[in-house]
Amino acid sequence: MDNTNDINDIAVLRARDFWAALVLIAVSAFFLWRTSYIPLFGGNRAGVSGASWYSSAAIVPLGVFSALFILSIFLLVTAIRAGGAKTALTAVGIGWNRFEAIRFGTIGIIIGFFIVGLVPRVDFILCSGLLITALIYGFHTGNPRRMIMSAIAMFIPAFYALAMHLPQSEWAAPHDDDWLTLVAWIILSAIAWRGPRDAVARATPIIAMMAPLFLVCVMAFGFRQNVPNRSGLIFSQIEYQYYVNIRPIWRN
Amino acid sequence: MEFVLTQLSGFGSAFLSLSSDPITYIYLISSVFLGIVFGALPGLTATLAITILTGFFGNKIPLDYSMIALLGAYVGAIYGGSYPTILLNIPGTAASAATAMDGYPLAKQGRGGEALGLTTTASLIGTLIGTVALLIFVWVLLLVSKNIASPEKALLALFGILLSGTLMSEDLVIKGWIAGLIGLAMAMVGLDPLLSEPRYTFGWSYLLSGFQVVPVLMGAFAVPQIIEGLRTMEIGKMVQLEGRILPNLKTIRKHMPTIARSGIIGTSVGALPGVGEDVAGWVSYGVGKSVSPDGKNFGKGSIDGLLCSETANNACIGGALIPLLVLGIPGSPPAAALMGAFTINNIIPGPTIDPDIILRVVAIMVMASFTMAIMGLFTARIFIKILRIPQTVFLPIVMVLTTIGSFSVGGGINDLYLMLGVGFVAYFMNMLRYPIAPLVIGVILGGLFDETFRRSLLISDGDLGVFISRPGAAILLVMIIALVLSQLPLVRRIFARLRKKAV
Repeated sequence: MDNTNDINDIAVLRARDFWAALVLIAVSAFFLWRTSYIPLFGGNRAGVSGASWYSSAAIVPLGVFSALFILSIFLLVTAIRAGGAKTALTAVGIGWNRFEAIRFGTIGIIIGFFIVGLVPRVDFILCSGLLITALIYGFHTGNPRRMIMSAIAMFIPAFYALAMHLPQSEWAAPHDDDWLTLVAWIILSAIAWRGPRDAVARATPIIAMMAPLFLVCVMAFGFRQNVPNRSGLIFSQIEYQYYVNIRPIWRN
Repeated sequence: MEFVLTQLSGFGSAFLSLSSDPITYIYLISSVFLGIVFGALPGLTATLAITILTGFFGNKIPLDYSMIALLGAYVGAIYGGSYPTILLNIPGTAASAATAMDGYPLAKQGRGGEALGLTTTASLIGTLIGTVALLIFVWVLLLVSKNIASPEKALLALFGILLSGTLMSEDLVIKGWIAGLIGLAMAMVGLDPLLSEPRYTFGWSYLLSGFQVVPVLMGAFAVPQIIEGLRTMEIGKMVQLEGRILPNLKTIRKHMPTIARSGIIGTSVGALPGVGEDVAGWVSYGVGKSVSPDGKNFGKGSIDGLLCSETANNACIGGALIPLLVLGIPGSPPAAALMGAFTINNIIPGPTIDPDIILRVVAIMVMASFTMAIMGLFTARIFIKILRIPQTVFLPIVMVLTTIGSFSVGGGINDLYLMLGVGFVAYFMNMLRYPIAPLVIGVILGGLFDETFRRSLLISDGDLGVFISRPGAAILLVMIIALVLSQLPLVRRIFARLRKKAV
């Protein structure tokens, strides 16, 4: 990297440090205020008198957030001295890059909706298959159109699951959101299949199907671990077959 | 002498009991293989390997097997990073960054096979040096640690967080400290350890038990890596592997002083709380450059340079386990992940740890290092093939692994929300060049710091003199103050002036 690049990088970094310092000051100030809710003097909890300042549960957080507040101010001063405040509102300072914004935004949507929308409500094998397909198809070639397409494919079933089955009581059934996820996965796989079929494109459906299936079965039946949404469309069938037909083979 | 013999016999019986169990080998071979794969694939790290395996096994398998899997992956991953470093000039893990200085030039000279063979041997010897140090020093420290009370523990935890923040910062040191403080702040969430006072729970019952370590580790190390790695990355031009991999014994004998020195440096750096293998590699490389007769050729394809970093980063493993097992303070980010695994297996590292566990850890380390060497020398070409897998293919699978692992340990969706939140925060911190390791070490040591600091004050009836009146605490306090002062611009200027005057 040449010197000019280094200087530019430092300029961008200091501008971002300026914003980060402001956020950190706000956050530490907020938590300092929240710390005032914890009794510092004269508290009495569970029959234990916390009359002394040094036995208070607030003493360490007070120190931690005060230190964070002070260091954030130091960071702000350092950023301002390095010219971070001057460039803070320019494109350089914010470090705006359209392609990077699309990349991060779509990854954020895919991962975020996968965890918040699908994992609690939809069969884990199905939603993981969709996730793997979306990430490989969207990001392997670095084409922004593909990234957006993948994000849409993840967003539609996740948003539906969230909208239709928000409360925890509805997470296990019915399976309309599972079916919608399966449809989204098939459509996205078909779109991917229509494109240039290099080795990765050919392997994607197999990886997307086999990896989650193998992982979930190993976790659930090999290591007897908890897996998400055991009542999902596919896993409930696997579990039933395992306990009713397969396990008795060696149990008997 | 008697002490050494006792140690060796204890180690021998632990080694025999482990090696006589066939299941041991299944876990050992597969975990070392997986570790090397994680190290060899740029974007995956040793910490990630341990974290994912922790989530995968949880506490559902016997402790011995769990330790074999985690330590095997640790040893394998630190070594595995040398493959892409030598053949692609892309460090597989941060620990191998210094190896790139001489590894890649050697490969370009048509000595890639020789470089890989020497790296494997150096990693083996380095791991063994670290393991011997662990076997000897852990007991000495355990004797000392019996006299360590709350004030020393509190200051040691604080020192570990500050030191990690200081040494892991790529940009401003202040950022490392801020990261450590954010970790400490996260550890404050939940019921406080002495009075069970709820702190920062905002009425959410999940937060009463505080932030769980495994989802935080997954979020901090896996999610940013996945987001960052999902770029269209052209796999670099791989240098053709030429020459035999089996190393020449004469060459190893010739470079033995370098290997021994680097092993000692690596172990010492590892023993510093929260520092890690990458720092060990660079420190050893720097020392090697200044003392080696071949110093002028460092960076141009020097065998000495290659051995300096590769021996040190593997020796660091044993070193990093010393403070972890004796004091409950991880010596490196992967050791922090190991601590999380110990915790969910109901092992509390520290002065009260069962000595048998330490002997088993040492035995596993020896077995893992030989397994790594055998795999490295005889199956290297398999790992070279793995280097061709693009990140965009394996990272989505890692995301699924991370999700299922994070869920299975806590058994709840809330852990996934926590992982996601921490992951996005860690990604932005990475982007702003904040080191993540101090944050994780802060989360892990925060509870210890909080409890021991307040207990010290309770015992002394609020007298802060308790941190000065005890010799151990006073030394630690001086070290903390010196560490903070040494980073202040004013103090640095004064020192620079004094140095000029002396010249």
